[in-house]
Amino acid sequence: MEDIKEAILAFAEKSKKSKFYFNDIQKAVQKVIPDAKARMIKKAATALINEEKLIYFSTGSSTMYGLKGRGQTEDH
Amino acid sequence: MAFEPNEEQKVLKYDELRIYTDDELNNYTEEELKGFKCKHDIPDLEELEKGPWPSFVADCKREALHRRKLSDDRMLIERDVVEDMMGQLQVSFDEGETHWKHGGIVGVFGYGGGVIGRYSDLPEKFPSIAHFHTMRINQPASKFYSSDYLRCICDLWEYRGSGMMNMHGSTGDIICIGTFTEQLEPIFYELGHVLQQDLGGSGSNLRTPACCIGKARCEWSCIDTQDMCYELTHYYQDELHRPAFPYKFKFKFDGCPNGCVASIARSDMSFIGTWKDNIRIDQEAVQAYIGGEIAPNAGAHAGKDWGKFDIKKEVINVCPTKCMWMEDGKLMIDDKECTRCMHCINVMPRALKPGVETGVSILFGAKAPILDGAQMSLLTIPFMECEPPYENIKEIVEKIWEWWPEEGKNRERLGELIQRQGVSKLLEVLEIPPMPQMVKEPRSNPYIFWKEEDVPGGWDRDINDYRSRHAR
Repeated sequence: MEDIKEAILAFAEKSKKSKFYFNDIQKAVQKVIPDAKARMIKKAATALINEEKLIYFSTGSSTMYGLKGRGQTEDH
Repeated sequence: MAFEPNEEQKVLKYDELRIYTDDELNNYTEEELKGFKCKHDIPDLEELEKGPWPSFVADCKREALHRRKLSDDRMLIERDVVEDMMGQLQVSFDEGETHWKHGGIVGVFGYGGGVIGRYSDLPEKFPSIAHFHTMRINQPASKFYSSDYLRCICDLWEYRGSGMMNMHGSTGDIICIGTFTEQLEPIFYELGHVLQQDLGGSGSNLRTPACCIGKARCEWSCIDTQDMCYELTHYYQDELHRPAFPYKFKFKFDGCPNGCVASIARSDMSFIGTWKDNIRIDQEAVQAYIGGEIAPNAGAHAGKDWGKFDIKKEVINVCPTKCMWMEDGKLMIDDKECTRCMHCINVMPRALKPGVETGVSILFGAKAPILDGAQMSLLTIPFMECEPPYENIKEIVEKIWEWWPEEGKNRERLGELIQRQGVSKLLEVLEIPPMPQMVKEPRSNPYIFWKEEDVPGGWDRDINDYRSRHAR
């Protein structure tokens, strides 16, 4: 779990974009940890949301993840 | 195991939970309403009031006047929110473009859905709608609620939001429109801890499941849609609130093929109650319909004289598979040809009833027309038993959720993935063989590209011989 969380944060920090789809997180994590299952990655991402390291970004129709403090961080 | 709530569901009593007094709720007269003038000029909106139908503008004016007359401490966001909303809409009409900015990082802690951020891009002109977020409340199954329940929700939204609501959104949620970011958490707390309600789905989540009135009030319902909707809503809470799908995903539950929640047209996974034995026929009641003693369609078209009921013209001849006939004064049905169109049952409900071996048909892939046009669901599983706690159904759901999130592109609905990878791939995922009962749309079966190993004995084909006669 901890290694997946680290991989997610490493991807979020390195990524050129400030917001990314879950799919992109999953692909990036599986590059580093090939046997990481989607469910585990989701659990790790949820834990990072609860730790306030990641944020959800929603358009209403689809949702992206972002690193807290990077890109759009204010209310709007 | 079926879901059991941790704490008992309370019956909401408005008198114990109300925020406003009757005087505050009825704080203006019809005379005052006639003389009401919005603080912004809204000629085009006022034009909308002149049509034959009730107008949202008329409702907004009532709400605006009501808020004008409440005292300052009885609203936690600006009193002008409704008037500013109307003013901005007039500007949009004048300029032919929207002034809303959609989306953002607003939400409630731990939830990735249920709140949709919205902001005005004219905040100096319309400060009361600088924030105008939407909250979706998961509606009770079949939208059954008491007036006490509604009053509690309305009071909360009046106090902490704009007071403007949509009953209901297309997915079924109670939609509360227009509040500021700082009100989101308090509203969520009140909803969860006091009113025992939850937010609905939005974004790349499982969206709020919806069902028809089912066995609660409908004799045709072949499955307990309310129970199924409740169970799956609770079982898949994580998918509802923490988004990890490529895009939205919808469940809808119809008790019979009449499809009152239109699951076939609106959900990625549609559940439609059906039966596998024969339509039950009460021959005496058939004769009573023929003799005019019972009104057809339960009297639904009684407003006009359509002449004497003619069973041949109105039922037998319009059966899409021509599987009905009269024999020695009795109505006969060749049930194996029945496609569950429900017409005969709808016309003669006291004579014909769905069979007793009931279950569910499962269809996949309906969607609205954002990409590639609207699609109807594909009838993939013609019949499945459907009893609590629905383990067999959950197994199917999870097979789909193994495949679609893995293979689906960002913002690709299940229906589009099925179209891109083919029905054969869907069947491979579900581990079921192609069947003639699978229906793509009325009168059309899905195209299945057979592989050699799927066909007993395979086939021999010399590609060079073929090419000698057919240029590439």
